[in-house]
Amino acid sequence: MITALIVDDEPLARKELRRVLSKADDIAIVAECSNAIDAIGVINREKPDLVFLDIQMPRVSGIEMLSMLDHERMPHIVFLTAYDEYAVQAFEQHAFDYLLKPVNQSRLDKTLERLRRDREPQKIGQLPGANQLRQIPCFGQHHVQLVRMEDVEYVASSISGVSVVTTDGSELPTELPLHILQDRTPLLRCHRQHLVNIDFIEKINFLENGLAEIRTRRGQIIPVSRRFFPQIKERLGIL
Amino acid sequence: MQIDPVGLSLVLLQQMCVYLVVAYLLSRTKIFIPLTHATIRPPHKLACYVIFSLFCIMGTILGMPVVHAIANTPAIGAVLGGLLGGPLVGLAVGITGGLHRYSLGGAFALAAGLDIVIQGILGGLMHRHLIRQGRTRALFDPLKAGALTFAGVLLELLIDLAVAKPFDQTLEIVRLIAVPELIANSLGAALFMGILIDRRALIERQSSLFSAKALAIAARADGVLRRGFNQENSMTVARIIYEETGVGAVAITDREKILAFIGIGDDHHLPGTPISSLNTLEAIAHNEVTYADGNEVSYQCSISPTCPLGASLVIPLVGEDSDVIGTIKLYEPKTKLFSTINRTLGEGIAKLLSSQILAGRYEQQKALLAQAEIKLLHAQVNPHFLFNALNTIAAVTCDEPEKARDLIGDLSTFFRMNLKRPSEIASLAEEIEHVNAYLQIERARFSDSLTVDIDIPDSLGRVRLPAFTLQPVVENAIKHGTSQQLRPGHVAISAREDGDELVIDVQDNAGLYEPKPAGQGLGMSLVDRRIRNCFGPSYGVTVASDRDVFTRIMIRVPLEAASK
Repeated sequence: MITALIVDDEPLARKELRRVLSKADDIAIVAECSNAIDAIGVINREKPDLVFLDIQMPRVSGIEMLSMLDHERMPHIVFLTAYDEYAVQAFEQHAFDYLLKPVNQSRLDKTLERLRRDREPQKIGQLPGANQLRQIPCFGQHHVQLVRMEDVEYVASSISGVSVVTTDGSELPTELPLHILQDRTPLLRCHRQHLVNIDFIEKINFLENGLAEIRTRRGQIIPVSRRFFPQIKERLGIL
Repeated sequence: MQIDPVGLSLVLLQQMCVYLVVAYLLSRTKIFIPLTHATIRPPHKLACYVIFSLFCIMGTILGMPVVHAIANTPAIGAVLGGLLGGPLVGLAVGITGGLHRYSLGGAFALAAGLDIVIQGILGGLMHRHLIRQGRTRALFDPLKAGALTFAGVLLELLIDLAVAKPFDQTLEIVRLIAVPELIANSLGAALFMGILIDRRALIERQSSLFSAKALAIAARADGVLRRGFNQENSMTVARIIYEETGVGAVAITDREKILAFIGIGDDHHLPGTPISSLNTLEAIAHNEVTYADGNEVSYQCSISPTCPLGASLVIPLVGEDSDVIGTIKLYEPKTKLFSTINRTLGEGIAKLLSSQILAGRYEQQKALLAQAEIKLLHAQVNPHFLFNALNTIAAVTCDEPEKARDLIGDLSTFFRMNLKRPSEIASLAEEIEHVNAYLQIERARFSDSLTVDIDIPDSLGRVRLPAFTLQPVVENAIKHGTSQQLRPGHVAISAREDGDELVIDVQDNAGLYEPKPAGQGLGMSLVDRRIRNCFGPSYGVTVASDRDVFTRIMIRVPLEAASK
């Protein structure tokens, strides 16, 4: 079976796609999402093989959402759009395919046929500097908050998950794993479980055994491990 | 030759007359104009120097030899040169005149040469003194000029006594020439200045008359042709020019026909008839002023051999890229001469009218552009809306064919309303119908995540406002508002009376309004601009917004739409 997720902000569009897909016996729709932020969580949890992704959605567009996904475990992405002006941009993001709405049955069949032949996980070329995140989606009790990079003090990972700590002290859980944040943001890895925004480093205390700790402007202490210390020194220009 | 002071005085006065005749003749030419103002411009200073040096030399040449000296009048040139041109010009005139006098020789040569230099400096110093005191007009006072020259000659006589040798002989000569020179030079300088100020008064009177006429025409004709270059407006302008200039007749033409004619000969020069005058056709073809004065260049009316008009001036009206768009023509009857003022004025009027016509065309184009902008806006918006609508209809067709049918009806209503010309005025009821058709489709598209409340009393349905006012505002609220937030969207549309105004509120619960987001500003500002154009600056669109809470757009139009 091929597991699939539908992401579209229009309920009728989701329903229509579900109807067209129902003719393919080997496709199992695991979930539907009405926005990109919900979709990131579902993709990380359910790990679907295939994502039908609308491009124009509130707050985070389908294209922006791609850069928030783990490139190592990337599902096949099929973009859905009502206008083909986005097509070129979609393929630059290495989409598997894109479909114009309303979805044509035979065109969809071709996409699925190609997918059945090529079940290898999608290879996404990582271009340095590309796919930079402008904001990190975080989940509160009843809302989703998009935190801008300049408001992030540091990011910490623990058993309960990854949290973004902002400059005003709030701690917000995010679905994005630490290594994606490290790759696609200017945040600096200082410890196995921590990323820090170097703009807010006030002081570095040297400890025994080549260890150190960072003190932020707000007085927070973040550990520095021996493994990442040389990189930090280099980034900060310490010889 | 018997020399006595009385005889010498008469001779010198005679010379002075020759001198003043030359001055008077010169005053009728253009080179005299710079002299009529206390000038600081180098070319004018130069003119001043040349003219007064010549007068200075002329004064010397016309002089009468008295024993070893010359009784003469170079003092006038030197003093006036300094007085009108300033110290430097005075010095230069003095040196020039002095060298000339020195070159003539005689026992007095050195003394007399020196005298002229001193007199030039004297004039210059007086110039500086009066300018510093801000009494520019006093420079032209004939009495002052006479008195100053008197002083200059006194100084001259003293220098002669001091420098020339032998003293006895000098004293004798000075005694002889003192009175004649003092009288002739002072009087000459005063009269010279008199000629100057007469000339200046003439120029000023002419130019003030000219400015007054030009201003009167400009004020009365202001904006008339801006409203369009046609027969009606041309007639108004022609009448103004006719009344203000007092010429025999005035005509305005475009490139092919007479637009307006007023004055003598209007019985056979009829507006609307094609141009037949060769002068006019030539002026249009070559973009040049043609002038037939009836004497040197013969003029004959091309329509009637008995036409009393005897002279014509044709000036092209020039539009964009120096294209001739028409002409303005001034006529005088055979019994009257064309005044220079009216000729010059005619060219000025042509420039004024040309720029008015240009401004009018520019405004017309601007209005067309604004309409084109709206059309463009619709062309940009509709494909997206159409795609989304068709997708929505496609999605409901299978399960709810009835609903699909209704949506197609809404879509058809929406496009029918869109075909209205943007300049049209619509009733509020029509605007709501347009918005309803639009909202039916958007509500189907977003299902549960969009709710809309409309609260508009039926009694307000007849209020008139520009077509395409409400729909773009509601579309903005959804496109850039509710559809951009993660929670369900809500849009409330209401209308109420407020005094003699109708206020329409469109409020969304997204609160994502930003003063200048790309693509959004155009639609909103167009709606605002069209309402203001239609009803005046006290009406239009205002925005209130609280980030992430609401955005409220308020549209104000008059209840009694006295639309223009």
